[in-house]
Amino acid sequence: MSMPRSVVEVDDAMLVRLQREDFSIDEEIARVRGRSSRIGGIATFLGTARDRSDERDVSSLVFDYYEGMAQKTLRDIRSRALREFDVIEVLLLHRYGEIAVGDNIVLVVVGAMHRADAFRACRWCIDELKQITPIWKCEHTPDGAVWVEQHP
Amino acid sequence: MTVTVKLFGAMKAQLGNVSELNVRLERGHRVRDLIEAIRATHPGVGALLRDKNVLVSVNHDIAHEDTELAHIDEIALLPPFSGGARALRRSHVHAPVRR
Repeated sequence: MSMPRSVVEVDDAMLVRLQREDFSIDEEIARVRGRSSRIGGIATFLGTARDRSDERDVSSLVFDYYEGMAQKTLRDIRSRALREFDVIEVLLLHRYGEIAVGDNIVLVVVGAMHRADAFRACRWCIDELKQITPIWKCEHTPDGAVWVEQHP
Repeated sequence: MTVTVKLFGAMKAQLGNVSELNVRLERGHRVRDLIEAIRATHPGVGALLRDKNVLVSVNHDIAHEDTELAHIDEIALLPPFSGGARALRRSHVHAPVRR
């Protein structure tokens, strides 16, 4: 029997990425959707750059990350999500470098058979990513550049 | 023994965007000895270590004060992550939470 037409081979490295360039949400969703024809629900979280932080105006952001450890942390989060939730595929993507207000920063895409599991895992992934991934944000404000160290 | 320590975020900015420190460990070879040595040789970074909840990683894993260091280890000082690591932030570098 041949593989279902919709199932495509995706390099695992594409499912956990830190990259400077912007991403296409459609393409990333397609990557997850293409992993299995069993997927019946896909939950996404998209984090974007806002123009206000702690009552200061923000004109742009710069993200720094720890090369190697950040990727390892994202791989661990993906593995744990796949193990601990009833989900089929998980994609974690974070940008670094300079990011303009309104632009995409971070994307989580979770595919599951059913929506409840997709929502739960997606929520857990973004919370975990923010808590333990060695990524630092510098906000450019009228008062100068500020490294953000406390954010919900 | 001399070790190289990577710096990020506010700690890197503190040293004028220097991203690595070479630190000579005269006495012990544990994380706590590294912290002592940094306080002695780089007071600016030492002050940040005291004031912020900085974690130390060794070979991409969060270390604790008793973790032994080798010359070849990849060591980094990790200021609080921008995403808000509340559980981790509660612990100072002297007693980081083990994940």
